[in-house]
Amino acid sequence: MRAAALILAGLAPMCWAASLGSLEECRDLEFEDGDAAKPCFEALLTEDDAAIRAEAAWALDDVPAANALFRSALRAAPERTELRVRWGELFFDAQNPAEAQRLFAEALGQDPANVPAKLGMARVALGGFDARAEALANEVLAADADNADARLILARLALEADDPPRATAELEGPLAAQDKRTRLRALALRAAMDHLADRLPSEWEEQATALHPGDGALHETIAHFYIITRRYREAIRQLEKAVAADPTLWSAYATLGMNLLRVNRFEEGYRMLTAAHDGAPYNAEVVNALRLLDEVMAWPQDAADGLILRIDPTEAGALAAYVRETTEQALAVFAERYAYRPPAAVVVELYRRHEDFAVRTSGLPGIGILGATFGDVVVMDGPSARGIDDGFDWASALWHEIAHVVTLGATNNRVARWFSEGVSVLEEWQTGPSRFRVDGAPGGRRAVPLNVVDVHREGKLLPVADLDEGFIRPRYPGQVGVSYTQAGLVCEYIRHAYGGEALVRLLDRFAAGESTAEAIEAALDVHPDALDQAFASYLDERFAGIDPEAFRAASAEANDALEAGDWIAASEAAARAAASYSYYVDPMSPYLMLAKAEEELGRRDRATAALRTYWQAGGRRTAPLARLADQLPAAEERLAVLRSLAVAAPLIGDYRVRLGDALLANGSAAEARREFAAYLSLEPHDRADAHYRLARSLFALEDREAARHEVLLALEIAPSYAEALELLTAIIAGQAP
Amino acid sequence: MLFVVVVGMAVAGWGAPQVLVVAGLGGEADYATAFVDQAQRVARAAESVGADVTLLVGDEARGEDIRRALAELASAGGAERLVVTLIGHGSYDGEEYRFNVPGPDPTAHDLAAWLAPVPAASQLVVLATSASGAAVDVLKSAERERAVVSATRDGREQNAVVFGGFWAAALGERRADVDKDGRIDADEAFAFAEQAVAAHYEDAQRIATEHPRTEGALAGFPLATLAGRADATPAAGGRRAELLAEVDALRDAKDDYAEEDYFAALQELLLELAALERQRDPQ
Repeated sequence: MRAAALILAGLAPMCWAASLGSLEECRDLEFEDGDAAKPCFEALLTEDDAAIRAEAAWALDDVPAANALFRSALRAAPERTELRVRWGELFFDAQNPAEAQRLFAEALGQDPANVPAKLGMARVALGGFDARAEALANEVLAADADNADARLILARLALEADDPPRATAELEGPLAAQDKRTRLRALALRAAMDHLADRLPSEWEEQATALHPGDGALHETIAHFYIITRRYREAIRQLEKAVAADPTLWSAYATLGMNLLRVNRFEEGYRMLTAAHDGAPYNAEVVNALRLLDEVMAWPQDAADGLILRIDPTEAGALAAYVRETTEQALAVFAERYAYRPPAAVVVELYRRHEDFAVRTSGLPGIGILGATFGDVVVMDGPSARGIDDGFDWASALWHEIAHVVTLGATNNRVARWFSEGVSVLEEWQTGPSRFRVDGAPGGRRAVPLNVVDVHREGKLLPVADLDEGFIRPRYPGQVGVSYTQAGLVCEYIRHAYGGEALVRLLDRFAAGESTAEAIEAALDVHPDALDQAFASYLDERFAGIDPEAFRAASAEANDALEAGDWIAASEAAARAAASYSYYVDPMSPYLMLAKAEEELGRRDRATAALRTYWQAGGRRTAPLARLADQLPAAEERLAVLRSLAVAAPLIGDYRVRLGDALLANGSAAEARREFAAYLSLEPHDRADAHYRLARSLFALEDREAARHEVLLALEIAPSYAEALELLTAIIAGQAP
Repeated sequence: MLFVVVVGMAVAGWGAPQVLVVAGLGGEADYATAFVDQAQRVARAAESVGADVTLLVGDEARGEDIRRALAELASAGGAERLVVTLIGHGSYDGEEYRFNVPGPDPTAHDLAAWLAPVPAASQLVVLATSASGAAVDVLKSAERERAVVSATRDGREQNAVVFGGFWAAALGERRADVDKDGRIDADEAFAFAEQAVAAHYEDAQRIATEHPRTEGALAGFPLATLAGRADATPAAGGRRAELLAEVDALRDAKDDYAEEDYFAALQELLLELAALERQRDPQ
């Protein structure tokens, strides 16, 4: 009931002359006493005008009836733009922004200057963290400088962009408004500002409570800002207050449920989502979350040594050991570099389907496309959601997310987004499983996507103090990706210019609640503008000699020559491309084209050298790495490549077997056992062989009983298996491995 | 185009199968080359189990050539098993499956009619072509023990298939030999190729346009002997065969045993088998 009324606040219903008074009276009554308003709205259900009945049904939480009535009213009078807008607002209220947007657009088609429709569009954009919200609000203000709804939208945008002074200025008008609902919304935003700045208790919150006791939406608003600043536990406390104040505020139940999941409180989250679904069954986000939970909550939980894994059981056997090892290594490396180790268990969830990951992260701005971290809870796509050959390096992504656990934990989630992302990207480059490790490379730095070089040279990189905007409200296609890389480069520069300790000092400043500008001044003793200038010079030097156009032209030439089978031309062009931008390993890496051409020319050593550079520079495509492993003469280096290959594509049994065989030959039986156990868990076609290989590794570890069991399982399937019969004989005879 | 007819030397003893392998029209050069290569691999594999092999490719793989080859096999007689493998493109017009060859395309009913006189008691027809699922019901035989393998589920799956490549690969692939007897039987080849086809489409992130299908019993059709394991034929009799039969029986009765007792009994049989193997191959 309340949500419908709040959206209406500030709008001027236009032409329901006869009953408008009654509707407004009901709404006034509702603001004062929701229960008392119910009979008032019920009385309106008998009005002749379908639009009035729609409003009454909406206020009484009967969304389907309201929907049908608006449709009926518009069918009778399609020219009534204001009804189309209200119908859109109904959809927006019912958490169907796509349909709302369609109706607002139709309304603007009828009346391009329609203010409520523009505000509706702005709200949809606001909810989707779309930068167009600001332009739409400004359009409204250009025609009506005192429009309180537009001011409220701009205030909210300013607060989301961590600009409290601008938000404060925008709220001046709404705080002085006659309309109580407008004032209440403004007070809620001021209260949120206090919460974000830890100015508690908040006098604004007290004023809001005094104006409208038991207002759940107040706490929902405050929670929103805690959520987008990743302070999920504080958000949960506010949402608990929201549902306590208004037990029918279903949106708050839904948000509460989703955020309980984010702090690993699955049982409670499930209960809250169920309540949300019972109250408002049309929320797709809630339905999807409940479906996912029904599956995930049945998974066995793998908890040990401060790490909890949630992995689909069909893949856990192949992934769990790698996830555990990667996470533990990352935590150890980061403890050394950032002087922080999470005090509580870290949770890692890996999803086989990207849609499941998306359910866990819905409603968050600038979230990683493939991974997200909620404090100590890491949620990400697994390797079957998207493979390494499609550009998703899951192990590197996990390393990235664990770095977030550290930067979020060290700052009690107060770290600026750009800095958290920057540290994560930097650690991928410098310490992660696909880190840059080309022997003797000048500078020893990872090649970045070429568009970042272009954006830098065009002067379009954001100042560091505004870099969060590039994640939350991108203004050009690809800006989110550019912002990730820029953040990594800024952190790389800080480490280069000020030392690793400077990054730790920055974390300390963020932990103290300082803004980016304050933290930079305090930790680096430099003004952010000066840092921007020095960073730009650093990039000039880092990108010196890179000729993107020459690179693109030579790459295209090499590609064409490969397709034409002109191996000499392909080799020459690929070598030129590599010279135009060294160590580039993203799609169309010149090293892969060079390797192919050299292989065709029979120059195996050159092909191997190109593939080695590709691997050392962080390239992880499987076929090239498999070829490299075949070609390398030195067992140690070959083993290292096979490790990279198995980690990059852990669900491909062949790679696990190859690594297991190499490990066993190398005397690393324990690691070999892990590989063969993973292979067996993948249910390979040749199960007898899988059991036999596992038995061999167990025999090498002198675990004779386990080896006997495995070899018997192999022979149970294939009693003629000569090698397995020999192994069984050796085990039973007590022979040495 | 190539024309090859290979007649392998039959190995007397446990019933050398008759094998006919046909590579149909490729249309495009890449397909033509691939189909011939696959057919040659299937034929070579058949030779390794001592089959009488007829291989038809190129211009000598017309419908009439197929009819004549099957007629010759029918008049030769004497074999317990017949394996016919057709590799290439197929089509289905809603009523009739056709195998694409130079000249008139033989239909499923033509093939069924030509197969009918062949006296081999056990017959296997492998249709590694598009739309081949449409031929399965026609080629099934109530009178004969005839198994049919098709690359597609039905006639609507009309895109060129990858099944043939994986079927041919299975015949030389150690991993396909799941019972490790050194021999690739039809059931093993099918399981390997079926999984490989699924993995192929999954890896390519494409919707699978072929779903291999089988009707009838595939076990007992030896298609290839793996290199170095030429002695692993059902001809090995005596105590070894008894032991293998006892292992089979024990496996069937597994549920009647306590786990420890079951594995102890299995181990006893296998150790004796291992001792026999060492006597056969002291190295």
